[in-house]
Amino acid sequence: MKRDSIVSLVLLAGIVSLYLSLGMMDDPQAVTFPRIIIIIMGILAALLLFQSVVFKQKNGSQGAGFPFGRFLICFFMIIVYFFLMEGIGFYLSAFLFFIAVTFILGIKDLTWRTATFRTVIAFVFTGILFLLGGFLSAPVPPHLSAGPRLVDDDDRLAHVFLISCQHGYDAGLKVRGPAR
Amino acid sequence: MAEFLHYFPLALSFTNLLTLILGVIGGLILGATPGLSPTMAVALLVPFTFHMDPATGLILLGAVYTATVAGGAISAILINIPGAPANIATLLDGHPMAQQGKSQTALYYCFISSLVGGLIGMVIMILFTPPLARLALKFGPSEMFWIALFGISVMAGLSSGSILKGLLGGMFGLLISTIGYSPLLGSPRFVFHDVLTGGVAIVPALIGLFAIPQVFALVETLGLKLERPDFKPEKGVLFKTIADNLRMVKSLSIGSIVGSIIGIIPGAGGQVAGLIAYDQAKKFSKKPESFGTGNPEGVVAAESANNAMVGPSLIPLLTLSIPGSPTAAVLLGGLLIHGLFPGPDLFINHAEVTYTFIASLVLAQIAMCVFGIILSRYSYMVMSVPNLFMIAAVTVLAVYGTYSVQNSFDDVIVMFTLGTLMYIGRKFGFSPAPVVLGIILGPIAEDNYLKGKLIADTDVGVFSYFFTGSMNIIIILLCVASIGYSVYGEIRAYRKAKEAAV
Repeated sequence: MKRDSIVSLVLLAGIVSLYLSLGMMDDPQAVTFPRIIIIIMGILAALLLFQSVVFKQKNGSQGAGFPFGRFLICFFMIIVYFFLMEGIGFYLSAFLFFIAVTFILGIKDLTWRTATFRTVIAFVFTGILFLLGGFLSAPVPPHLSAGPRLVDDDDRLAHVFLISCQHGYDAGLKVRGPAR
Repeated sequence: MAEFLHYFPLALSFTNLLTLILGVIGGLILGATPGLSPTMAVALLVPFTFHMDPATGLILLGAVYTATVAGGAISAILINIPGAPANIATLLDGHPMAQQGKSQTALYYCFISSLVGGLIGMVIMILFTPPLARLALKFGPSEMFWIALFGISVMAGLSSGSILKGLLGGMFGLLISTIGYSPLLGSPRFVFHDVLTGGVAIVPALIGLFAIPQVFALVETLGLKLERPDFKPEKGVLFKTIADNLRMVKSLSIGSIVGSIIGIIPGAGGQVAGLIAYDQAKKFSKKPESFGTGNPEGVVAAESANNAMVGPSLIPLLTLSIPGSPTAAVLLGGLLIHGLFPGPDLFINHAEVTYTFIASLVLAQIAMCVFGIILSRYSYMVMSVPNLFMIAAVTVLAVYGTYSVQNSFDDVIVMFTLGTLMYIGRKFGFSPAPVVLGIILGPIAEDNYLKGKLIADTDVGVFSYFFTGSMNIIIILLCVASIGYSVYGEIRAYRKAKEAAV
């Protein structure tokens, strides 16, 4: 089966389940716009399926030679980095992640010389980030001495409020007069 | 023009000028680095501007945008890999010049013609943007709704090989933008997990969709050997190159005019501008056979075109929120996180920020040429940075930028999830640009749809409100034309491929 046919079938399955989930939402008025988008997506996915069946395409060789092992290693290193960041803070975890990536993914040419060089680069890079963070007063996950991150209901409410404010901006909620 | 001159000195303040110079130098380096796209570079920088004064933040983004387009020519000339799609035409003659030992001359041609084209493009932008913004004043909810859809349809047609996949990407972006609480009714939608309570903010989406797939793409290319940079320092060629370059009036004019026109067309982008300008310069040349063998006129036409496109590509962005290129779409995200909404409001209520930003873009063109020429001697060093360091650095910067905007670890999870999905999507021919535009324009489309529906229900009915009126019809026809053109292009490509197979 061709790649596009598989993609469109997967998409159609996802679209149908999303459409069904609309029925579980509280306010039918609030889902009018998402409903229209999901219907249009359904039509587009069906057209993609039709196109892939009617117009014969050559199967690409995109899957050939894909370094799956390397990809998985990188993926899991990023996941571990996220967990570490919450525990030991941003700068230390960034430094360890930098070293882990350059050592593990570049293990083929790892010598004392390259190892020292990579460690120095990791140190310099983290140092620059530290200075930049101080200069911009940008918040980062706190370090170990600051203790674990505590999120109570008030924090979460404040967070939701802030995001809602940003969405207000994004939507450009300004009073615009009708055209006619 | 009077406003532009009035606010111009603000761009010359110490902080703004320093930010601009750092942005240009950083942009040139990022543009020259193979494997780092300009769009990703600007996306990674957006959160850093969040903690800056809006004008200074936008100056940084504008400077990086301008410089990455020119910086992309460095890798095109030296190692035959365009730093950005806009530089594809540059390598056709730029790399042969480097192979002939004229790499420094080729780089000088590139930066000088980029400056000429860039300045012409900026003049067009300054002249056309305010009148178009005034036209946008006449737009009501229905027109704004269609404008948002037009932006998505244009980006869908030009950013990926298949219009259907582009439109699906755009619709997916629109759907993502509806996650969280409804802006007018306040009810939750698609909040399947606590992480999604606040919806998907622009910055995690921008960074995730552009940076994470790039990280995985770099992992794929680990171990591949790139061509060694063809760089041989040449002495005393600068002034001769400037004189020769300015004598190439025909190529400079073709490049600048083509770039400016293509730039105004939403979604067309620098790649199209560079290739068309190169083709026209070849057709008008007395020695067309010399193109492709290291003719400097090819470099001049391509580079003046792709930088001439920068200014005009911001016209539809600043007036109608329709970006002229994927990088401009990211720039739109940068405007929105500062609470700046494209359209007449930008030129009336935020005139100081807007005109300072526009003035800085003019200065960025000059700084790009000056620092490009200075750095060109050392540019080959950038090509030697191993991908390993890029993978680590881009990931850390992506996390840093995402977390710092809202102090939220949830955003980091959203960023990585979207990025991983996009990486898989890219394998199946989907492009991140329409998705990003859908997320950015989604709230505008929904807000105006709901407002329009409220008006229509009390007035002429939904169909009449959204589908009649001259402006509505013009924008709907533009949407249809944009999709129709893409479909026509695909059918033509399919027939050609079929004929070639026979």
